[in-house]
Amino acid sequence: MTTRLFGEPVQRREDPRLITGRGRYLDDLGAGALAAAFVRSPHAHARILDVDVSDALDVDGLVAIYTWEDLPGALAEPLPLLIPHPALTHGRTAYPLAREIVRHVGEPVVMVVARDRYLAEDACALIRVGYEVLKPVVGLEEAAGGAHLVHDDVPGNIGAHLVQEVPGPGGETAREAVDAAPHRLEFRLDVERSACTPLEGKGVYARWDADDASLRVYSSTQTSTSVRMAIAAKLGLPLPKVEVVAPDVGGGFGVKIVHPWPEEILVPWAARLLNRELKWTEDRREHFVSSSHERGQVQHVRVGFDDDGRLLGLEVEILHDHGAYTPYGIIVPIITSTQLLGPYKVGAYRVEFSSVYTNTVQVTPYRGAGRPQGVFCMERTMDKIAAYLGRDRTEVRAANFVQPDEFPYDQGLTFQDGRPLIYDSGDYPEALRMLKELIGWDSFPEEKARAAAEGRRIGIGVGCYVEGTGVGPYEGGHVQITSDGRVHVSTGLTSQGQGHETVFAQIAATELGVPIERVSVVTGDTRRFGYAVGTFASRAAVMSGNAIALACRKVREKALRIAAEALEADPRDLEITDGMVHVAGAPSASIPLATVAVLSNPLRYAFDEEAKRATQFAGPASDDRPPVAEGEEPGLEGRDYYSPVRSTFAAGMHAAIVETDPDTAEIRILRYAVVHDCGRLINPMIVEGQIHGGVAQGVGGALYEKMVYDEHGQLLNASFMDFLMPYATEIPRIETAHLETPSPLNPLGIKGAGEAGVIPVSAVLAAAIEDAEGIPIDRMPISPSDLHTLRRSR
Amino acid sequence: MDFLRPRTWAEALDLKAARPEATPIQGGTDVMVEINLDKGRPAALLDLTPIPELREWSREGDVIRLGAGVTYSRLIGELEARLPGLAQASRTVGSPQIRNRGTVAGNLGAASPAGDSHPPLLACDAVVEAESVRGARLIPIGEFYTGVKRNALAPDELIRAVRVPVARGPQYFSKIGTRNAMVIAVCSFSIALHAAERRVGTGVGSAAPTPRRAVAAEEFAAARLDWRGRSPLDPDVAGRFGELVAGAAAPIDDVRGRAAYRTHALAVLARRALGWAWADFRAGTGADSSAGSGGGDDRGSQ
Ligand SMILES: Cc1cc2nc3c(=O)[nH]c(=O)nc-3n(C[C@H](O)[C@H](O)[C@H](O)COP(=O)(O)OP(=O)(O)OC[C@H]3O[C@@H](n4cnc5c(N)ncnc54)[C@H](O)[C@@H]3O)c2cc1C
Repeated sequence: MTTRLFGEPVQRREDPRLITGRGRYLDDLGAGALAAAFVRSPHAHARILDVDVSDALDVDGLVAIYTWEDLPGALAEPLPLLIPHPALTHGRTAYPLAREIVRHVGEPVVMVVARDRYLAEDACALIRVGYEVLKPVVGLEEAAGGAHLVHDDVPGNIGAHLVQEVPGPGGETAREAVDAAPHRLEFRLDVERSACTPLEGKGVYARWDADDASLRVYSSTQTSTSVRMAIAAKLGLPLPKVEVVAPDVGGGFGVKIVHPWPEEILVPWAARLLNRELKWTEDRREHFVSSSHERGQVQHVRVGFDDDGRLLGLEVEILHDHGAYTPYGIIVPIITSTQLLGPYKVGAYRVEFSSVYTNTVQVTPYRGAGRPQGVFCMERTMDKIAAYLGRDRTEVRAANFVQPDEFPYDQGLTFQDGRPLIYDSGDYPEALRMLKELIGWDSFPEEKARAAAEGRRIGIGVGCYVEGTGVGPYEGGHVQITSDGRVHVSTGLTSQGQGHETVFAQIAATELGVPIERVSVVTGDTRRFGYAVGTFASRAAVMSGNAIALACRKVREKALRIAAEALEADPRDLEITDGMVHVAGAPSASIPLATVAVLSNPLRYAFDEEAKRATQFAGPASDDRPPVAEGEEPGLEGRDYYSPVRSTFAAGMHAAIVETDPDTAEIRILRYAVVHDCGRLINPMIVEGQIHGGVAQGVGGALYEKMVYDEHGQLLNASFMDFLMPYATEIPRIETAHLETPSPLNPLGIKGAGEAGVIPVSAVLAAAIEDAEGIPIDRMPISPSDLHTLRRSR
Repeated sequence: MDFLRPRTWAEALDLKAARPEATPIQGGTDVMVEINLDKGRPAALLDLTPIPELREWSREGDVIRLGAGVTYSRLIGELEARLPGLAQASRTVGSPQIRNRGTVAGNLGAASPAGDSHPPLLACDAVVEAESVRGARLIPIGEFYTGVKRNALAPDELIRAVRVPVARGPQYFSKIGTRNAMVIAVCSFSIALHAAERRVGTGVGSAAPTPRRAVAAEEFAAARLDWRGRSPLDPDVAGRFGELVAGAAAPIDDVRGRAAYRTHALAVLARRALGWAWADFRAGTGADSSAGSGGGDDRGSQ
């Protein structure tokens, strides 16, 4: 009775630790370690002429100084290009320490190791690097112009170019469909750069055990297994001699899926070389100029539609800014160009993107990963069509929805995992109906008129998205019940505060019939689980959740088999409740799981009272069978993997009401409503928490955050003084309703929820501001100053 | 970097005379940020926090003498009735943590054009009390700001206190930031009605190289407001007042906003602030002339 926990709003089990300061983040570890610090390029584009360290050598406490010249073997090669793609014809990655050329402000040039961080920074300040400054390429259009190059051998600064086309129902191309359509619109949209900015930056701490010739590395990462493989490869160590642990991680949002960061291999390398513990913790400015950004795109749209607003053809050309390097391939523009379609059938579709180099921080996925831009494009398109036809904006959307009976629905494109973009399930008309009711869509015109009578300007906006979640290739889970009756769950993917310890425990407790208090969960520790991919793409619950459920089912089956023998019952008649295996309907005929665990492991030696029951003279045994039967293993544990054929597709719709100040152009969100469908809910409270955080980040991206580069490639607002994250004072109460269309693709029927909240926010707020102001909003983010400029240019 | 820790005010003045390049540190909410951002490393820090008398304020006639170490939090808690404009501005500074450490003297020392205490200090004719081993001098606030992040202090001088007249009429401060809290002003404005003298004081922030008064706007409003009859504010007067305030500004484009927006927003802030202040004056609310004291204690220390 207490064990049906799947679907319950169980309190997050990690919070008491995290909110009372007992979390163990990277910088809480390795108090006695040496410290690393980096000399980083002050120029966006320059040739390194020389590095003079003579003054730094006087710093008392200095241990070592390294430049690219010092790096051996594979370490001296460029960092891996993690996700190659045929269209990425000119992929380029950085060297761990710059070799000859620096291509953005913040690129690491010299690594300094000293007794503590203060001394390391002092030494950094005394190192003189001579540069010949080269012409920097800043801004998408300047880069695409190709007058100056970021990489000499990349003509036109074009790293990748990709076209995807889906013909219309009659075989017509998108161009033909648009040209032949009764109505046509053409416009340009702009989305500016932002960044993940987790509260905890990156960090690495490495311990070399010379006696054992092994390395243990702690990293604030979203993928410890893959960091481990990268370190082993770069340092030439046997994989079993490297372990990587992700301790408590203070947020990732995508930036920490990129790996190995230069520091992630340099710090372990130096720790081994020096045979000393070594740590590097990123500071905030370093994070701004030497990690990753995202979002920057220019989009050109041509759309053709009929009198009802039904799309007949859509052509989108995207210019995507990927910064100085492409370690994560072209995942972001691929996602933009495919997920742009949202819940709609667009007729004929053609999307083309060019991904270009600039002398700025590299671009890799940030929560939403290209979707906010795609959704901005599609939803602005819907609103423009509605405005053009004088129709209600929700009607135009509804006219284009994929219908509930059309699933699985094939959009005819190739998704980010290289697999077809086929939606598994959903109910978009119902979601829209729920959203309109939640926000009061139909009565808004009266509300707006009343406000106008008081001299107030308010507006409403809506935005819809579909999100491919739970991409493969796989995740695994391991579940062990020990003889004290405790359940130990581990999975290789990592946590950055999402609540994995809670939801995975809920799944295990439900599958095994044990109280949740007996379940403990370990994530992201390669000592416990070596095979994993990582936490990104809203995949943890879908991938590890299902893998853990499958592993639990194996364990449960074995437990029932052993218990059946002990109880002389048929395993099919057994149930597990509250950690007791019993005959259904006869609770007295029972055996605790703890005892089952004891019996599962035939012993020669008793180490406690319980264990005596499994020793060789404890009970009758058949003389002609081995103690561990053929095909069995000792112990009550199971391991399984989940590897889906394709992604699950979650969906959602948001609506907002905003007020704009007629005088000062200040923008205030009055209400924010969310209808959310991530399949079956494991824990509605955690899903809502994820939505709230996502919406808050989306509000940041829509109204506050941008990366302001000057023409020299200097990031002008590289601190939280001028890169403004929203606070509680900016985030309205978020009203949420859940819709559950289970995924047919996995045993638990779940879809991902991690990124969802952020995806449509810019589109929704642009629509609401446009409604309030009557001015087209084609560029995000928008500040009061920007809105004022728009008003004046009318 | 040397860390100098005087125990007494006299010792602090001696140290500053001996080491004029030493950077005084009070709450540290500017100094530590600058050090963190690597904007130069001071040769020495002169820590003023141990000196007890800096943490005191007292009433001297019609003036509050605000010690250099009185934090924004205490100013808000203890002096709101007597210095309403400055207290309002203090409320918008940073976060509770910053207000628990930051001081008006520190704001003056930093002399950022965006500092929030400057507009009300200008509007109320505050006076900065500077002191060195050579003696003390009083610097009228209008002469204090000499350039972007520069002030009139001599290298051997420290701020002992700020003298702010007790309010003799309604005062308001308002600020536009790109976020609602913890934000550097895009522009800010303060108004003080000196009712007994039928005079209007103003202060404009974040819209010129230094904080400044809008003198033409002050004179215009003083002449056009109906002080005797207390008749309602003529919208044209309010509008013109706003324009004149905006005209006093010389803003720039930066990451926080465009110059044109700053000018426009300033006009709006000024028009609104005059409206609120005049409404209070007509209703006889706000810190008013007749009481003259604002009530409360005559001194405070910590
Ligand atoms: C997160 C954050 C938010 C902030 N928000 C705001 C805001 O909203 N509005 C705003 O106006 N400011 C803001 N600030 C800036 C800062 O808090 C204020 O300028 C504050 O008034 C500084 O006071 P302090 O006592 O901390 O000064 P300190 O940092 O100690 O000193 C500041 C300057 O004054 C000099 N100084 C200090 N005391 C004396 C003295 N007695 N004599 C001579 N010189 C002296 C110092 O040498 C230094 O140059 C913020 C700062 C931070 C870190």
